[in-house]
Amino acid sequence: MTKLAELQANFFKDCLSGTLTADNTTMSKDIDSHLISAQGLMGIYQHSALANITTSLSLTFPVVEKLVGDDFFAQVCRQYILAHWPISANMDDYGDSLPQFLAELEQVKQLVYLKDVAKLEWLFHQSSLAKDSKYFDWATLAGVAPTDTLKLNFILAPSVALIKSTQPINKIWQMNQDNAPQNIELSIDGETDTFIVLFKRGLKTEMMTITASEFFLLQSLFNGLNFEQTIEAVMASTATMGADTSIDNILKKHMELGVICGFSI
Amino acid sequence: MRSIEGVGIGLKHKHLQQFIDNKPDVAWLEVHTENFFSQDSTAAKYLAKISQYYPISAHCVGMSLGSATTKCPIREQHLQRIKNTISWLQPSLLSDHLSWSGTENGHYLPDLLPIPFTEEALDVVAKNINHAQDVLQRQILIENPSSYLTYIDSPIAEWQFLSSLIQETGCGILLDVNNIYVSAHNQGFDALEYLANIPVDAVKEIHLAGYSIDNIEGQEVYIDSHGHKIYDGVWRLYEQVIKRFGVLPTLIEWDTNVPELSVLLAEKKKAEAIILKVVNAEKVMNDQAFL
Repeated sequence: MTKLAELQANFFKDCLSGTLTADNTTMSKDIDSHLISAQGLMGIYQHSALANITTSLSLTFPVVEKLVGDDFFAQVCRQYILAHWPISANMDDYGDSLPQFLAELEQVKQLVYLKDVAKLEWLFHQSSLAKDSKYFDWATLAGVAPTDTLKLNFILAPSVALIKSTQPINKIWQMNQDNAPQNIELSIDGETDTFIVLFKRGLKTEMMTITASEFFLLQSLFNGLNFEQTIEAVMASTATMGADTSIDNILKKHMELGVICGFSI
Repeated sequence: MRSIEGVGIGLKHKHLQQFIDNKPDVAWLEVHTENFFSQDSTAAKYLAKISQYYPISAHCVGMSLGSATTKCPIREQHLQRIKNTISWLQPSLLSDHLSWSGTENGHYLPDLLPIPFTEEALDVVAKNINHAQDVLQRQILIENPSSYLTYIDSPIAEWQFLSSLIQETGCGILLDVNNIYVSAHNQGFDALEYLANIPVDAVKEIHLAGYSIDNIEGQEVYIDSHGHKIYDGVWRLYEQVIKRFGVLPTLIEWDTNVPELSVLLAEKKKAEAIILKVVNAEKVMNDQAFL
């Protein structure tokens, strides 16, 4: 290892060391400490790096931060960062394992919805960064031979994300937005499943609650099943398929929304 | 690609809509390239619209030009992402920092960390800048760092290190006046001596920002926080910069605790007033010389 590489490895080690002391500051032999100790100087960089990453996580998980409070969020981020240090300068890639990290924290165990709210925020963030898709090609679909219909593979837009939760995470998310409506009724009983689809429309990412049938249909398409397999999967997953949730209606609705953006045979 | 002149401000997410709706009177805008890597993201779509009305300078924070590893897959991927972004954004200027962020083992520190000014580091940084310029197919400007510590083994003066990089790579300089002020305080060097040793022709852009003051072990340390109004001492140093380097594109930087746009526009006016003061004073001197 070159001298510069060794110095940078030591610098990094100190930033990752938690509380720095005279004994554990590796950089003490490399920096001038006649006015401020080496641990004091390295502490500036450690604090700055942690603050920068925390700011990035705060931008991705603003509702989680509101729910647990700024101070606790900063503490959690510090623990998370030290356990999962970033490997890329693109901070948009960072934070995917924070929902699971939150789920394992004893201090927030009573916030049974927190993990799924965090997951929703992560998927929302990823959706907003996803590539745009073309509008659905209705004319070409109309030309598909009836005998080929069951072989079709419908394609979801790159921005689509699906999430199912036993908690009303859509309402929790809405209540914690700027200018949130005041009349949202919330019941955290864990007895009603919430199904959500995220997708980009125009400049914005939208969050929409959907039925169980819609969810299972979109999930089947996401998993690469063809139309025939999708029908079987949806029938197996949902006990009831009322007239208003027929597969034809679901497909049409999500083609019009841009959730389903194309197909192949 | 449009030319950049006058005083610009850093474009922040919270002001995107105002720039779309009101097109405030600003000469140009600077963005952090890394915030717009996804061309289809909402923010990038806003920026694409805004860039129709304002020249853009792309300021990078992740090239890690001081990293000891001259080639690392993650940094190569990062360079490609910058290349993709500048291909649609077409910025008038492109810059990054004289600092490092990534280590050999693939870890990344999202900060602009100081390098020791040694012959070994000079060779590494020059190679990294040359490689970045080859990949990006254009000149990059290197920003002088702010620093809170002094390495024991750092025999080359910072300004000499920068001058050598200019000679070896053909890069330009983004002169951050606040960084000079902060580092001069923290490291005890003379800011005017620093300015006097920077090659005039290499400087293509100027940054102005506010710092914060921390008390560590009884010592005042100036922290390059970009979260305050610009201090008087930095404004005075800026006046000296304009006198030495001429009128150059100047940026008001504000990255933390970002205030209302009106606050940034007021700082912009202060910079414009200083430019006008220096230009008028030089005009009077030239007129007197002519008479």
